[in-house]
Amino acid sequence: MARNSIGALLRRFFFLIDAPLALLLAFTITMFVLILVIPLLTVFLGPSVKVSLEVLEGFRRYPYLAWPPLGEWVVVSDRGDYKLVIVRLKDLGVIPNTLIVASTVTLLTTIVGVFMASIVARYDFPGRGLFRALAVIPLLYTPFVNAFVLYKVFGDGGILGQAMLSLGLGYSLELTHLAGVIVAQTLMFWPIVYLNTLASILQVDPSLEEQAENMGARGLRLFTSVTLPLSLPGVLAGSGLVFLFSMEDLAAPLAFKVNNVVPIRIVSSIIGARDIELLSVEVAILAGALLLVALTWLMVIRTYLSLRHYAMIVRGGRWQPRVFKPSPLMYALIYLVAAPLLLISISPQVGVLTYAFSKSWLGVLPSGFTLDNFQYIFRDDMVVRALRNSVMYSAIALAFIVIMGVASAYFVNRVRVVGVSLLDFLVMSPLVIPGLSIAMGLLLLYSSGPLKGTLIDPFSNPMILIILAYAIRKSPFTTRAVYAGLQQVHQALEEAGMNLGASRTRVLLGIVVPLIGLNVLAGALISFVYCMTEVSVSVVLGALKPDQAPITYVIFDYLTAGYGGGAYVHVAAAIVALILFVQIVAIFTTNYILKYRYAFLGL
Amino acid sequence: MDEVVLENVDKAFGKVKALDRVSIKVVRGELFTILGPSGCGKTTTLRVIAGFEIPDSGRVYIDGVDVTFKKPYERSTAMVFQNYALWPHMSVFDNISYGLKLRGYSEAEIKRRVGWALELLDLKGLEKRYPLQLSGGQQQRVALARALVVEPKVLLLDEPLSNLDARLRLRVREEIVSLQKKLGITTIYVTHDQEEAMSISDRIAVMDRGRVVQVGTPWEVYNKPVNYFVATFMGRSNTLNGIVLERVSEELYEVDVKGLKLYGVAPGGGGLDRGLNVAVVIRPESLRRAGEDEKVNIIEGFVRRVSLLGYTLQVRVDLGNGASVTAYLPPKESVEAGERVRLYASPEEVKLYPAGEVEEEMQA
Ligand SMILES: Nc1ncnc2c1ncn2[C@@H]1O[C@H](COP(=O)(O)OP(=O)(O)O)[C@@H](O)[C@H]1O
Ligand SMILES: [Mg+2]
Repeated sequence: MARNSIGALLRRFFFLIDAPLALLLAFTITMFVLILVIPLLTVFLGPSVKVSLEVLEGFRRYPYLAWPPLGEWVVVSDRGDYKLVIVRLKDLGVIPNTLIVASTVTLLTTIVGVFMASIVARYDFPGRGLFRALAVIPLLYTPFVNAFVLYKVFGDGGILGQAMLSLGLGYSLELTHLAGVIVAQTLMFWPIVYLNTLASILQVDPSLEEQAENMGARGLRLFTSVTLPLSLPGVLAGSGLVFLFSMEDLAAPLAFKVNNVVPIRIVSSIIGARDIELLSVEVAILAGALLLVALTWLMVIRTYLSLRHYAMIVRGGRWQPRVFKPSPLMYALIYLVAAPLLLISISPQVGVLTYAFSKSWLGVLPSGFTLDNFQYIFRDDMVVRALRNSVMYSAIALAFIVIMGVASAYFVNRVRVVGVSLLDFLVMSPLVIPGLSIAMGLLLLYSSGPLKGTLIDPFSNPMILIILAYAIRKSPFTTRAVYAGLQQVHQALEEAGMNLGASRTRVLLGIVVPLIGLNVLAGALISFVYCMTEVSVSVVLGALKPDQAPITYVIFDYLTAGYGGGAYVHVAAAIVALILFVQIVAIFTTNYILKYRYAFLGL
Repeated sequence: MDEVVLENVDKAFGKVKALDRVSIKVVRGELFTILGPSGCGKTTTLRVIAGFEIPDSGRVYIDGVDVTFKKPYERSTAMVFQNYALWPHMSVFDNISYGLKLRGYSEAEIKRRVGWALELLDLKGLEKRYPLQLSGGQQQRVALARALVVEPKVLLLDEPLSNLDARLRLRVREEIVSLQKKLGITTIYVTHDQEEAMSISDRIAVMDRGRVVQVGTPWEVYNKPVNYFVATFMGRSNTLNGIVLERVSEELYEVDVKGLKLYGVAPGGGGLDRGLNVAVVIRPESLRRAGEDEKVNIIEGFVRRVSLLGYTLQVRVDLGNGASVTAYLPPKESVEAGERVRLYASPEEVKLYPAGEVEEEMQA
């Protein structure tokens, strides 16, 4: 039939949009292709020219694989008047380590997150409001320093062990190495599962539960047979993100001094390399593997959930949620298990402030309240320059983000042509694509071949790629805010405009944008904050030319390069405290604007 | 002169065939109504004319020009949306002047024209208000003003009364008609309310499941419904099951309704074969008390229930063969439940449609 022919499709396409909108769209797609699609393809295909049997053979040897495993699972050492128990787990090599950590963390965060969400969604207990408020604190970005605080709590000579001793237990506990990473990441990431699950539970129509209750289901049975299955998309979305975040997390392995995991391998090899030719094939392959896992997950989501689900998070619940009085056992669980867990989970944010405002923190308690750390960072040229870089990069990226976000959200929401779902998929995909894979792709693509030595070569000018990568990676936050706004604007409002003679672009700018301006603003604020706190690309590309590096690279640098933590943790914490402040302002503003709690997922 | 022409327009949404070879011709200056039950494709037809939907096949002409693939803003139609679609962030004045600004009129000219529209629709003094500060009726008039002020070739109204309360509906309906006559603007009016359609239209197109089944004046559509759907959709009707006995003349058939013999006509065109099962449709108002001397088309039975509706007396009559009919008699008539009555319907008022059409309707 005629309507299936290419000509008819094209005619339909240009019937639905006009030239300026087509241009905006073309711009958006071009950006995604140049900064996301082709670099990712390069990660896959690039190293293949250098791959040899020898390289592949290498993956079966240390450090990629350690068999038999190295080290001890648990060490108990007798310290005279007490016994020190050190849980550390054995080193199985880079690849198994990463997979084991990510799987374990996913499992643990899922248990904790679902448990916490169920409590908040279904039980009415004193302190519930506070509980809800505190549970989002762990999602505040505290690049790198959060993990150092957890190391301070659980690690070598940590607060936990010292507290046990001061209680006179005769035992002291330390969690180090992989065990420490697992615990730290679990505490850092469970709120992601929690928020997604909670959003899902709150969206379950209470009448569905009432129906089941009517048929005799109650209590836990009701919850597990009706509520939880209906909330499964949220649970799955949350745990999937955790798996990906864990696989590319740099902070925890850095703090717990674990070198044999994928992200650390990638970053340290890039930082060591001064030329793309020197980059080892192995790490490029690792970045590809990371990407492969992410893409597999993306396919799962695309089949079983929609990416849109990520975009439609916490709305505060449209219904009157059903809440119950907890049983005595439930009370015990809430106050003796959930509450302490929550308190430990916000310790990174508390710890950041503690470090930032103290002179030293060696024992359990810090000593010497001071503002020196802040004074120090403003006197350090490197920090000031990096802060300025970050603000500038983020602001420029934001211009791109707003254009791409408005264009793609409008297109996906309003223009029904074939391929729209593909576009939707493309523009939302940065939410789940590891930043390290993108960084590696950009590095491989733009520093070799004909682009070597040009303006865009990251070895001479990382700035450009950092900005563009920020724009791509952090645009979904704006896109989904705009999309949510568009859903509130009835299509007839636009049609009325076109009917009176306004072109689609004119309607978009004159009617739609004014109506959803606040959504655009709110989304842009969130995107801005996430640009400021972006880690993967900042560290990898920033390392190539420190005077162009953004602030997150400097934090990383302070915590690693030879300074060896120590006093520099305090300085790094002061920088992070500033970032924390910016975030809190931005989040309060967006919540005020959007009138609902905005989920911030992309840790 | 035809202002709007649709030629064999098809439009499907996935598997749903919203429009099935729709062809209509709207004459310049007339008030043309598209009537049909919810989901029959009325809105889609309007949207195809306005250019919000592109037909899968077929053509659309406005004022002799093929606009099938023209964009909405190149067509010079003005639509009043079911929910009015007033821009909440713009004042009444800004809403109404939007189209004028796009056309590049001078400030003074815009003022003059908006003033004209405000006057016309009795909106004076409200120009600084925002849509949310207006009543439903006022919002509707703003929407009308916004559409009319650009002097469109065609005015499209999608169920314009559906968001008004019953009291306002009658008044606004009259206002729309008198405005339309005053301006002489070609108007396509969509409604699912047959009474509304009857009262305002120059011509009506009745739609059923994406197809236009009949186009005609209200009189034609009401009195000569071409199929069972139209016959039963327009007003109330009694449907009895019958079998064709014979064709008495070119026009007239004799049917058997479970022993009752009736003469009737087949407005659908085409002959009815002897022995064919037919639906016998009689409107309640076509039935009256039979005179002593009348011998044919007599429907006799016991009165089951009588209700005085004011303008008419509604009488439910059991025919004794399992069937029953409702009749509207003059309110002064004295009839009591249990009484035996003889009713008469003239053969032109007894309409016969093949039973197949009925089944088709039932399945839909
Ligand atoms: N945009 C659309 N997508 C899918 N189906 C639609 C769309 N618009 C209309 N339809 C379907 O087409 C049919 C006709 O719809 P419509 O023209 O709105 O009917 P009406 O206005 O007569 O109530 C209905 O079955 C409706 O569900
Ligand atoms: Mg409709």
